[in-house]
Amino acid sequence: MKFYFREKIVEAKQGDTIAAALYRNGQRIFSRSFKYHRPRGLLCVSGKCPNCLMNVDGVPNVRVCITPVCDGMKVSPQNAFPSLELDFLSITQRLDWLMPVGWYYKTFTHRMMWHVAEPTIRKVAGLGKVLSSENREYEHIWMHADTTVVGGGWAGLQAALDACGKGDQVVLVDDQSVLGGQARYRKSAGEVPADLIRRVESHPNVHILRDSSCFGLYEDYLLGILQRNPHPGALERLVHLRTGKVVVATGAYETPLLFPNNDLPGVMLSTGVLRLLHLYGVSPGKRAVIVGSSRAAEELSVELSGTTIEVVAALVPEQVVSAIGHGCVRGIRTLSSVIACDLIVVCGPRVPDVGLSAQAGGNLAWSEVHGAFLPSSLPPQVSVVGEANGEGVTGVGAHLPLSKRAFVCFCSDVSSQDLCDATAEGFDHIETLKRYTTATMGPCQGRMCQLSAIGVCAHETGRSTAETGVTTSRPPNPGVTLGALAGPRHHPIRRTPMHYSHEKLGAVWMDMSDWRRPRFYKTLPTSEEKECVLAEYHAVREGVGIIDVSTLGKLDLRGADCGKLLDKVYTHRFSDLRSGRVRYALMCDEGGIILDDGTIARLNDDRYFVTTTTGNLEFVHQWLEWYLVGTAWDVHIANVTAGYAAINVAGPNSRAVLGKLTDCDLASSAFPYMTCREAEVARIRVIMLRIGFVGETGWEIHCPAESAESLWNGLLQAGADYKIRPFGVEAQRLLRLEKRHVIVSVDTDALTNPYEADMSWAVKIDKPDFVGKAYLANAGADTSRERLIGFVLTGSGLPADGAAVVVDGKLAGRVTSSRYSPSQEKAVGLAWIKPAQAKEGACIDVRVDGKLVPAKVTMQPFYDPQGTRLRL
Amino acid sequence: MQLFSKDRMWRHHDLKPSYDVVIVGGGVHGLATAYYLAKQHNIRKVAVLEKSYLGAGASGRNTAILRSNYRTPEGIPFYDASLKLYEQISEELGWNVLFSQCGHLTLGHSDSSVAGLRVRSENNQLLGVNSRMIGFEEVGKLVPTINISREARYPILAALYHPPGGIIRHDAVVWGYARACDRMGVEIHPFTEVTGIDVENSKVRHVVTCKRRIATGAVLNATAGWATTISRMAGVPLPIVTHPLQACVTEPLKPFLNVVIVSATLHVYLSQTDKGELVVGAEIDPYQSYSMRSTLPTLEQMATYTLELFPWLHGVRVLRQWAGICDMTPDFAPIMGAASEVSNFYMDVGWGTYGFKAGPISGKCMAELIATHTPPSLIEPFSATRFETGRLIGEKAAAAVSH
Repeated sequence: MKFYFREKIVEAKQGDTIAAALYRNGQRIFSRSFKYHRPRGLLCVSGKCPNCLMNVDGVPNVRVCITPVCDGMKVSPQNAFPSLELDFLSITQRLDWLMPVGWYYKTFTHRMMWHVAEPTIRKVAGLGKVLSSENREYEHIWMHADTTVVGGGWAGLQAALDACGKGDQVVLVDDQSVLGGQARYRKSAGEVPADLIRRVESHPNVHILRDSSCFGLYEDYLLGILQRNPHPGALERLVHLRTGKVVVATGAYETPLLFPNNDLPGVMLSTGVLRLLHLYGVSPGKRAVIVGSSRAAEELSVELSGTTIEVVAALVPEQVVSAIGHGCVRGIRTLSSVIACDLIVVCGPRVPDVGLSAQAGGNLAWSEVHGAFLPSSLPPQVSVVGEANGEGVTGVGAHLPLSKRAFVCFCSDVSSQDLCDATAEGFDHIETLKRYTTATMGPCQGRMCQLSAIGVCAHETGRSTAETGVTTSRPPNPGVTLGALAGPRHHPIRRTPMHYSHEKLGAVWMDMSDWRRPRFYKTLPTSEEKECVLAEYHAVREGVGIIDVSTLGKLDLRGADCGKLLDKVYTHRFSDLRSGRVRYALMCDEGGIILDDGTIARLNDDRYFVTTTTGNLEFVHQWLEWYLVGTAWDVHIANVTAGYAAINVAGPNSRAVLGKLTDCDLASSAFPYMTCREAEVARIRVIMLRIGFVGETGWEIHCPAESAESLWNGLLQAGADYKIRPFGVEAQRLLRLEKRHVIVSVDTDALTNPYEADMSWAVKIDKPDFVGKAYLANAGADTSRERLIGFVLTGSGLPADGAAVVVDGKLAGRVTSSRYSPSQEKAVGLAWIKPAQAKEGACIDVRVDGKLVPAKVTMQPFYDPQGTRLRL
Repeated sequence: MQLFSKDRMWRHHDLKPSYDVVIVGGGVHGLATAYYLAKQHNIRKVAVLEKSYLGAGASGRNTAILRSNYRTPEGIPFYDASLKLYEQISEELGWNVLFSQCGHLTLGHSDSSVAGLRVRSENNQLLGVNSRMIGFEEVGKLVPTINISREARYPILAALYHPPGGIIRHDAVVWGYARACDRMGVEIHPFTEVTGIDVENSKVRHVVTCKRRIATGAVLNATAGWATTISRMAGVPLPIVTHPLQACVTEPLKPFLNVVIVSATLHVYLSQTDKGELVVGAEIDPYQSYSMRSTLPTLEQMATYTLELFPWLHGVRVLRQWAGICDMTPDFAPIMGAASEVSNFYMDVGWGTYGFKAGPISGKCMAELIATHTPPSLIEPFSATRFETGRLIGEKAAAAVSH
């Protein structure tokens, strides 16, 4: 296999990670540090530290030590200029005395200084860059398990078998591609019997997720799991695993020791050395010095015997003065001598990985014996086993840094000196220390630095480690890509049954909540929106037009007590609505604020047909169900929005067109305004409502969705002689504006009550009770509040929706909708203004493109104020 | 030289038996009030009590966005005054709070949201706040990497651009105020939980804490998340419900986003810190809770909408998510003033998702109210009596995602 590193070809062996291949090929520096641009080499070789972050195929901050090589991959270093070996910004190391902890808070206190300095700091900070905009595939799946075991080492394997023995369905999650945990590379961890792995792998009750990191344990035992390369078609998969029990068998990870230059390339954690040796067959060095407790050093010497690494010395941490070298380790200075070596193997404290139990609310307590924070209380269905629970973990004792110039936090270059200084300045609580120094807040998420930071804090404050405590454990840990979290990112578009007919007619689309609706119809490729809308307008006012209103929410209410429910949640009265009649419906919340409107038709004694606005259907449905709870009323609510389509036929010729398709008597005497019938139109069973949002004679026809396209085209055909025109949302908005019909949430907002909106007629305040009554009972009399009024612009121009209303040069309100009115030959609109001006004929100014244009207030509809045309 | 100074930011004290003013809540509101009490009114026998570490509550959990492009004639001048104080605060405190006035963009993806943004821009302009509507092409110029494609599921139609808005280092504000308070003799008491408030004859006499009982002349409730709990101790009911709000942060990237982006339609707001991390916030969770445990669906939603705006960020890792809790009033505007039931019990609460933006001016106004017993005109509209008279403030209309 081959891949590209800095555009040069690198050979890799089967099973190699990028880091292993690079190391074998002589690469020692893998990154430059965040603040001082110090050279950094492989440290943990397990994806836990920040030392090997590189750009892989355009994606920044990839841990190359755990990323398998794929043929042809493009790998490049990041945050180093011009190269990893020579980085100009490493000059900052020399200036570190100018940049003590919190230096940026203490300098640039003058606004202009900060203004000048900040852009430079921004540019220098940051890590990687996204180099590719190519999309990758991510998946989401959902799973269930009786027991989930996180970690495939011996403890996890045993726990999985134990759970199977109880008959549980088990999911075993392991972040490696091969089960066995650290026994795969660390002899002292004890042998995992091959038999154990085989038994788990072949057990019918066990489902194994390999290459999968469990990053979060959320409420109600929901585990978030990131699975890498689940199949060739997907880069990553997010598994949502709801589980009955969780066994945390995540083991422990090794952390660095504190001595000067403890971050030099060539200083490596013992587990990192063993992983390189045994998993990838790469020799990390020739002459090694081991630093660690005598027991750990002894164990490691045994592990390294028979390998290509010669152990030249084993030191206890107290003996170490510093690592020596420029760019890589050349030796180690002890209290008595200098030992030449090319590898310093650190046997650091092992930290049980108990983030999952802590996220779930489990407490941690310091155990002096284990030298670790261990679970002291666990959430009910969580258990922690193996090394994660402290088994085999021994404290290395309180090793205090001889020098304060050792790095604690590798992510942000925070030294022990920095932590001491911060503590002295009063940031002596572990949480404030973290926030001030940013230690534990970098890409390693505190893995490498938390224990050391706690140690330094405890030492400096004279408190015990137990008193010092740990910081809050937060998901996702390890980090998860935005792509995996977002998943396939499908945002469905809702289309009405007549969608493709609209498309043929030249519809120009607009989004309305999830739906797509024709904004207007472009009759010719060259026609402009303005002229199309005007033509649609005139068709409705003078001839006939049809509009697809299928996006209206539609609820079918049946049962003896529907009237009671509707009386309760709507402001109008519906129990007394006669069969075959329609009434406008307005819904308020407990505070009297308008939530939604629509029409309610009573089809027969036990059946009401309710429409809602396009965006509020789900809410209205829930709201009705909510008020039904506990009532024992006989009401059944069906959401029939998708089952029915709806078409509004409107205009003086609508009766003539419809008459061609139905036997139903459409004369106003037989089918007056605000009534409804169930009838047949074009041989389709429909519900017809005689209502008129646009202000002309018209019918809203609700028909089964599957017949809608046929009805739509039938109407267009029948109306051809009358020059029938489909019209879109924009013409509808203009038509209704001339009638002063309010659109909820366009002309009203989250604080509008019906009185202010001039809709007191829709509130039956004498009803015994309804939602919002207590508030509305007083609001009706309050004349001091803003009012929704109509205005006619007396000057020229067209205010935008949202334009300000000005009176005496002061802000006095806002325009909600404004259009040029063909019937008035002027711009008209609706606006909220202060009550003093809410009078017929009052003068206001409206802002048009920043200039004030005079307008006159009117409380009447602009068109057909008596509403005679609706009733024709 | 300050750079090399290792003076303590604030000193430890033992609680005294009595104070002139006790402030409950060691966040930006409580500390700013203490600061102005000492600085402008020479009231220095003040104790700020915090049940956890300083800034542990909403002050340290918000996404640190500042702006003054509000919607209402009450909100705009108030937040504008706050922004102006924030502009001066680094110099005034001698402590850089890293206020980056990088500009603030609120995206409109639908006709109605664009109209709503225009209301704000119009009102802002008439009240002297720098903000204006810009088209999607100009959005593309300000943020070259944002997805302004017309083919996006929710294309950006226009935006409200507010150049003085930006981001700040929230913790630094808390620490800066705490240090300044300390230097003027105000006592800062972290890890001092209030467990009770003794009221006699409609006046607070004592505050009971986990450490000792203290006598006081006045009490300010400057808590967020626990505003109702503290007020109930004084027998003052509040029309407040508490919702969690979640946010997350990614690994550091080289700078690509030099402006704050907010989208109400996509329920998301994001900015890039000086360190390079992308900070992403969600709207409040739909349910009431005091839980500060974050959830996976919200994280997924934040990621989804971030990628709607910046699809090429898909390989970037989220490092942590967290939750804060927000006290929501019925009209999404705060409550500031003295309690009508208890004359020396003051409230600076109900700060929902917008409290950090208002810290300095709230502190200044509350200090004036406590010192003079007269509310400054700037906070008069925010009195709790508006819930009795029904005279609510219209920020709710703009506050669906109000960052």
